[in-house]
Amino acid sequence: MRTIAQVISWLSLVLLLAPSVLFLMNRMPLETVKTTMTVATVVWFVSASLWMWNPKKQ
Amino acid sequence: MAETHPEQTQPQTGEFEREPVPKNALLGFKSFIGMYAGEHCAGTELMIGPLFVAAGVSAFDVVVGLIVGNALAVLSWMFLCAPIATRTRLTLYYQLEKICGRWLVVLYNLANGVMFCFLAGAMITVSATAVGVWFNFPMPELSDVYPNSVGWVLAVAGVGALISIVAAFGYQTVAKFANIASPWMVLVFLAFGLIGLRQFIDASGAEVGSLGDVWTLAKTHIWKGGEPLDGQIKFTFWHVTFFAWFCNMAMHVGMSDLSVFRFAKKSWYGVAAGSGMYVGHFMAWLAASILYAYQLHLDPSDTAVLPGPLAHRAAGLAGIICVIIAGWTTANPTIYRAGLAFQAIIPKCSRFVVTLITGAIATVAAMFPYFAMKLLGFVALYGLILMPMGAVIFVDFWLIKKFGLQSSYAEAGKAIFNWAACLAWVVTVGVCVYLFKAGILEIYFVSLPGWFMAAILYIVVSKFYQKKIRPQTT
Repeated sequence: MRTIAQVISWLSLVLLLAPSVLFLMNRMPLETVKTTMTVATVVWFVSASLWMWNPKKQ
Repeated sequence: MAETHPEQTQPQTGEFEREPVPKNALLGFKSFIGMYAGEHCAGTELMIGPLFVAAGVSAFDVVVGLIVGNALAVLSWMFLCAPIATRTRLTLYYQLEKICGRWLVVLYNLANGVMFCFLAGAMITVSATAVGVWFNFPMPELSDVYPNSVGWVLAVAGVGALISIVAAFGYQTVAKFANIASPWMVLVFLAFGLIGLRQFIDASGAEVGSLGDVWTLAKTHIWKGGEPLDGQIKFTFWHVTFFAWFCNMAMHVGMSDLSVFRFAKKSWYGVAAGSGMYVGHFMAWLAASILYAYQLHLDPSDTAVLPGPLAHRAAGLAGIICVIIAGWTTANPTIYRAGLAFQAIIPKCSRFVVTLITGAIATVAAMFPYFAMKLLGFVALYGLILMPMGAVIFVDFWLIKKFGLQSSYAEAGKAIFNWAACLAWVVTVGVCVYLFKAGILEIYFVSLPGWFMAAILYIVVSKFYQKKIRPQTT
């Protein structure tokens, strides 16, 4: 579960940044960029909370 | 800019407060990299970047100035702060108490607490600008001193009350949330820059096919140089360099981060501060300044520095969330820490009440846009006020015995107030304030000679104080 949450959260960060890179390359309209970033934000906070809220003890 | 570190916000948790950090509690290099990267990418970056543009900075001056200034800041952590921290392994407060005595530390706490109140106020201001995007009330202009609408006052009051109540209940939950938000926030800042760059390319019609073209765009459209906006001071290469170097002066030269690096295995871990400098104080400042420059490009009369609308224009709801979280997660520990500083002065008062009062003061300060709009000058003042104590610690640790004097004088002599340290502090701040008030030296530069003045004063006054006024009997 923890590993899945980690993978999802890292992917959400890719989803967060990729639209702005595509926008810079003129491959994505700004409205789509904004929507995608919002979705990525929600996914990040939900998935990252699952493993970052109570970090594994060393 | 200067945010509070977790170790600094817990001076009363009993975590090696009055003893050296033991070997088994030392932390690895990675801990410091992550901590600095997160701590220095905060709400105030969204004000500072735009204020550079408002100060008429040119592309070369801002880019090279930030590279050089941030490098100097990292070197200050590496060679001034970390070497003492890893040798004594004590908190700033305990180190100061040994040198200055308990009552001078109380005064230091008071100064620290007041500065933190205003800093937290600026962070609340940042978050409140995001509320304005939804409720569409008149928001402050760049030159405003007083609150300009009821809506603004209510928004700041709401945001400030929320932050203060959460801080009063304990900052731990928000600190955890801040850790989660940190990587996300860094990438949103990066996205701001990339989006702003494209918007500039489209608006200017520039052909961009290489890095050289990007540089040309930066010089001709983004950071054009020229005259600053009304009420702002013109920023040159030297202003940018010194601002980047000294904006966290309280932390490195001022030695606040002794409390952080006492956990470092090696003093070279000070280089980890570079992650915060080049993520927060380079990338984030440049990204935020691109958004503001684009706003000016669209409408040169629209000079208001409002992080909420800026972020919303670039990244929509994610941008707004970033502004709120960036302001909130940094204002929260700042208010908490200011509360702790005040509570140290009146220990009988509960931390809950003190933190609420502190939050109320910060909230009232936030209603006055002057503090946020003059953030560059305020940050320089904040460093200046706390810097002399860093010079005192440096001299006390490395030099004072070479002059035949006692180090940790208050501890050795069981003094509760070291007048030599007090005079070095007060006289230095007084002279520096005079120098910039009289127009002799700008506030951004005055801390450099100020450090040497504090160091020399501490030695000279100690020579007199320790030998003549209060010689030790042991």
